[in-house]
Amino acid sequence: MNPTSLPPALHFTPPAAANRVEPGRPVIGVRGLDFFYGPAQVLFGIELQVREREILALIGPSGCGKSTFLRCLNRMNDTIPGAHARGLVEIDGHNIYAPHTNVIGLRRKVGMIFQRSNPFPFSIAENVAYGLKINGLAKNRSERMARIESSLRAAGLWDEVKDRLNKPALSLSGGQQQRLCIARALAIEPEILLMDEPASALDPITTTRIEELALELKTRYTIVIVTHNLQQAARISDRTSFFLMGRVVETDSTQRMFTNPSRKETEDYITGRFG
Amino acid sequence: MASLNPALSTLPLAAPRRRAWRRRIFDACGWGLCGLAFLCLGAATVWILATVVLHGLGALNWKMITQGTVGTGGGLMNAIEGTLILALGGIALALPPGLAAGIYLAEFDTGWLAPVIRFFSDVLVGVPSIVIGYFGYVTLVEDLGWGFSAAAGGIALAIIALPYITRGSEMAIRQVPREMRDAAYALGASDSRVVMSITVPLALPGVLTGVLLALAIAVGETAPLLYTAGWSNFLWNGHLIQEPVGYLTYAIWAFITEPFASAHALAYAAALLVTGFVLVISIFARLALDENTGWRRRMRG
Ligand SMILES: Nc1ncnc2c1ncn2[C@@H]1O[C@H](COP(=O)(O)OP(=O)(O)OP(=O)(O)O)[C@@H](O)[C@H]1O
Ligand SMILES: [Mg+2]
Repeated sequence: MNPTSLPPALHFTPPAAANRVEPGRPVIGVRGLDFFYGPAQVLFGIELQVREREILALIGPSGCGKSTFLRCLNRMNDTIPGAHARGLVEIDGHNIYAPHTNVIGLRRKVGMIFQRSNPFPFSIAENVAYGLKINGLAKNRSERMARIESSLRAAGLWDEVKDRLNKPALSLSGGQQQRLCIARALAIEPEILLMDEPASALDPITTTRIEELALELKTRYTIVIVTHNLQQAARISDRTSFFLMGRVVETDSTQRMFTNPSRKETEDYITGRFG
Repeated sequence: MASLNPALSTLPLAAPRRRAWRRRIFDACGWGLCGLAFLCLGAATVWILATVVLHGLGALNWKMITQGTVGTGGGLMNAIEGTLILALGGIALALPPGLAAGIYLAEFDTGWLAPVIRFFSDVLVGVPSIVIGYFGYVTLVEDLGWGFSAAAGGIALAIIALPYITRGSEMAIRQVPREMRDAAYALGASDSRVVMSITVPLALPGVLTGVLLALAIAVGETAPLLYTAGWSNFLWNGHLIQEPVGYLTYAIWAFITEPFASAHALAYAAALLVTGFVLVISIFARLALDENTGWRRRMRG
């Protein structure tokens, strides 16, 4: 594919070749984003920025639109009939809702981890290799094996599975399955990771493991994480955004948010008065 | 009449005491009806199978499966071969369009075409099989001039099998969890990629069950073949048209009413063979779908 023949929105540079600028550069910019499931509007005028290599936590009561917002960022909502977005979502300066956007390229660049781990019922290696295969990212077997290994290492799973790569993924424990899903997402070298309550179905020790992993991944990836666990948001995120009824109430550094929120609703929520 | 349902009547609902005797009577009636139903069903099944097996075993021998039919005697090798060729050929013809239609119905339900396909599929299930035989006779045997032939018989069976394969595939594909598709989409898979690499492979056990069901039906069909495949005493010579083919259900239909013991033996043996084929196919279908055997287990580890 010749990049110069594509409209600007299609023009994603692979992460390895991208010029890494100093941390803090905004990589996601959302302006005036409305979102609808058919006639029902669930997001109202969202304004948000995500900076490079930070962890942004999205918190808020159930049903306030956190998952919906997250799924707007890689256009996963496209798969829901009748759903549509209005407004501006820019990733690396390209409006991802512009016509003719390469959604496949977008999803390669913006990986996603789901609340319920969803490994394919294939082998461990095949799971990690899936993204490589469909995107044609490994030229030969040794390259593929190398990328499988490095992804599993990055997800902190390699030592546990290196002797049974051909065993079914579903034979792993819940936490291992979730880390496998992370490895699978990392294998195609995204720049951004979206995590929707990645640890909510896991026990506390496994949750800690996922949190540590998120902190490690932050050195290379920009992470947006939805969580219901305020301690988790406090432990791992740099900044936090509070959602309420489809609106962003405020976005601030996590520390300030949890010690000195500027809005009454935020304070009520984090002190447990509702939600 | 909820209390007729034994499962419901065991719910620990606090009913008024004076109603208790009524409930007990309803209970007894419920169980009684269940028992009766079971007896009828069980008796009918056992009776049929006993008849088929007892007669069949008396008639079945080595000669029966290694020789062709001679007049109203001889063996059934020609019919066994023909049944396999016609049924497998029919399924092979029906599988590609049936699977494609199933994928379409399950994945692209939004268009106007889906209800139309579903309607035609339902109509096709309802068309009496003899009508399909007659249709095959008029169009293939006569108008196209194929004569009684494997091609005409195979196509007739394919028409019978098509709606079962379509619906079976649709159901199986619908049962693939949304999470699996989401995972693939999130990794940058296109619609067609998701279908080919995730949805269809994960639906395969269910698709296979539909295919086996259709195969069982095809093996047991008679009417559509009478007008399309004809009958032959000889092994198939490989010609797709202008060459009639024998099959087991014909042997039952034609020979049971003949006044000769040798003809009866052919019919009995054919009945046992057809029933045996269908049972074996059903067992395979069960295994394919069963959580604890087959593909699902391999994938789950
Ligand atoms: N596929 C859908 N179709 C229609 N409405 C939906 C759909 N998914 C979510 N909604 C609605 O959109 C609103 C926001 O849902 P969303 O899942 O984004 O909330 P959430 O903040 O992630 O909640 P939770 O914390 O419980 O996960 C809710 O009112 C929900 O009922
Ligand atoms: Mg959610």
